[in-house]
Amino acid sequence: MAALAAGEPGVTAEATKVVVVEDDPASADVLRRRLQANGMHVDVAGDGVGGLRLVQEVRPDLVLLDVMLPDTDGYDVCLRIKSDPETADIPVIFLSARGEVVDKVRGLSCGAADYVTKPFQAAELLARIDAVLGQARNPRAPRLARPLERSASGRLVARLAIADQALREHVVALVAPRFDLATDPRADIVLVGERDEMPDDTPEGVPSLRITARTPRADEAHVVTADGHLARIAELVAREQRLDHDLQAAAEALIVLASAIASHDRPSPGHSERVASRAVQMARVLGLDESTRMTIRLGALLKDVGNARLPAGLLTKHGELTSDERAQLERHPVLGEEVLAGFHRLHGLLPIVRHHHERLDGTGYPDHLKAEQIPLEVRIVTVADRFEALLVDRADRSGVSEAEAVRILQAAVGRGELDAAVVAALATQVRSGGAT
Amino acid sequence: MPKSAKRVAEVVTRQIDAERRHEHRFLVNEGVARLVMRTTANNLPLARDDRPYQWSTTTYCDTPAWAVYRAGKSGAAMQLRLREYHRTRPRDVFGSGTLWIEFKDDDEETSLKERFGVTNALARSFLRGEHVLPEDERRLGERAQELLANGARPVVVTQYNRLAYSSLDSSLRVTADHNLMYMALPWTSSDTGEATALGPMLGMEPRVVIEMKWYGELPHWASDLHEYLKRESVGERPSKFMIAVGLLLGETDGQAT
Repeated sequence: MAALAAGEPGVTAEATKVVVVEDDPASADVLRRRLQANGMHVDVAGDGVGGLRLVQEVRPDLVLLDVMLPDTDGYDVCLRIKSDPETADIPVIFLSARGEVVDKVRGLSCGAADYVTKPFQAAELLARIDAVLGQARNPRAPRLARPLERSASGRLVARLAIADQALREHVVALVAPRFDLATDPRADIVLVGERDEMPDDTPEGVPSLRITARTPRADEAHVVTADGHLARIAELVAREQRLDHDLQAAAEALIVLASAIASHDRPSPGHSERVASRAVQMARVLGLDESTRMTIRLGALLKDVGNARLPAGLLTKHGELTSDERAQLERHPVLGEEVLAGFHRLHGLLPIVRHHHERLDGTGYPDHLKAEQIPLEVRIVTVADRFEALLVDRADRSGVSEAEAVRILQAAVGRGELDAAVVAALATQVRSGGAT
Repeated sequence: MPKSAKRVAEVVTRQIDAERRHEHRFLVNEGVARLVMRTTANNLPLARDDRPYQWSTTTYCDTPAWAVYRAGKSGAAMQLRLREYHRTRPRDVFGSGTLWIEFKDDDEETSLKERFGVTNALARSFLRGEHVLPEDERRLGERAQELLANGARPVVVTQYNRLAYSSLDSSLRVTADHNLMYMALPWTSSDTGEATALGPMLGMEPRVVIEMKWYGELPHWASDLHEYLKRESVGERPSKFMIAVGLLLGETDGQAT
């Protein structure tokens, strides 16, 4: 049973969270009492800016939104909620005295789930809230469905080695919702019948579970009953194994490379970490999925690993570089790719390492790629790299403010060097004070 | 691909302006917009092809050197854009079965537009320069091909709700655009077949953009309306494309951004 939240009698800790954006205090108070009496947690804002801030902070289950607000209109607020990937799936219900068809059509076309005209009966409003929340929680609801992740499906693959036909069919039915089934050895987990042999061709490191129709004894750690918990247990085991692999490979690579880099002089300590952090935040603004953000982070951390193969002192040389020295310096992306090429787990970030000095107009290096030949992940790291470099003092110039750095990069967009949308994401991120 | 190797696309629908037409844009507040549209509704029918308040999503193309934008600043430009229509606001572009490829040649007072309804796959193929569109003596398509050859690709998107009224002979069209938003577009590739998610919002227009487009002389009531709009507007509005790219390059202050 959920605990009661302090200060709100009848409101449970798991209560539906509602943000009400209403400029009339009396109306807001009536709404708050009515919703709280029905077990909801309510936060109220009196204007659009406050409402948007509350939505960001609270991440409510529902927003009740007045159309006429003192600082902006409800349509504007609704569109901003729906335009932010982090809040786009929060349903919005308009509450308005404007009851013309054009108002309702406009409200609904802004992405609202419903439009209720004032004055309204509390019972009707609550019924509509229930209907909207019910649809929002239905994973098959088309209008509220989350957009597909851009990475590969990410579904795990299970291989079955169960001779007993009845048990096999039962297990297939149990795991199919969470696993793709495969017959070849490249699976994330092998489910083996209690009396069956593990397939000979199973690669080392692939986890397995013994499946039984009975209740396993306490000492049978890897024997699992074929019941409703099977798919979840198998998924946990497979994901744990996969994570172990990834972490091990990444950790090994990072340790080796960090050591290599540390042995060389660095012009600006901590630069890669700042670039990685900034790039991840920009990727979030652009709505990229977690897997892509992880690739971007690692790529940003390791993009300059090729510096480790440059002649000692080149990076810290004062004064102008000779053409030979510049040519050597510009080889660091290729050298970095060579260093990392042996790490199978890091293949996804090789384009970042090789291409982070390319420019959209083809004047970058080493391959003079143009425009969309440069993957989006690379374009993000490139912008983050240049941005962070502008913020710090160097021998030949002083660091600039974040706002000034954005302006400098926008000018570079104008010259055709950088991706406009990526710089726009940076500007958004900087404007929000990093709260993305 | 050499020009001779390009295939002429199979077009679902083709719409062409008969001649250059007058085009004036006004930025007005909500109250003025309601009065204007009420007056218009008394004189013109709702446009047959436009569902009221449908979402119009327009993806604009430009080169890495911003050739279209720079030309627009000097008062004239050839725009290459792709338009999609939806009942509810999409969060991506190139997700529709049918897209409209539009060529629009603007000068200070008039515009000339040609548009082609094509399949999604064909629109992508066109952007890759693999297909050309049927051409006539106005050669707008040829100019679009030049832009593509210079690296033009989708860069910025506008979305808005449009209410459109149009005379039956299309000689006069009055539109009101609400909820106008400008979005960046992190374009990745035109050959994956997947829709491209919209990037960050660059700005929003809290007011209403009224456009009047007409051939020849305005009828009396429309002439009065035009005068009223000139008096009441916050200002004559540059094109949505110019504002969008201005925001993108930090050259335009965002409205309520």
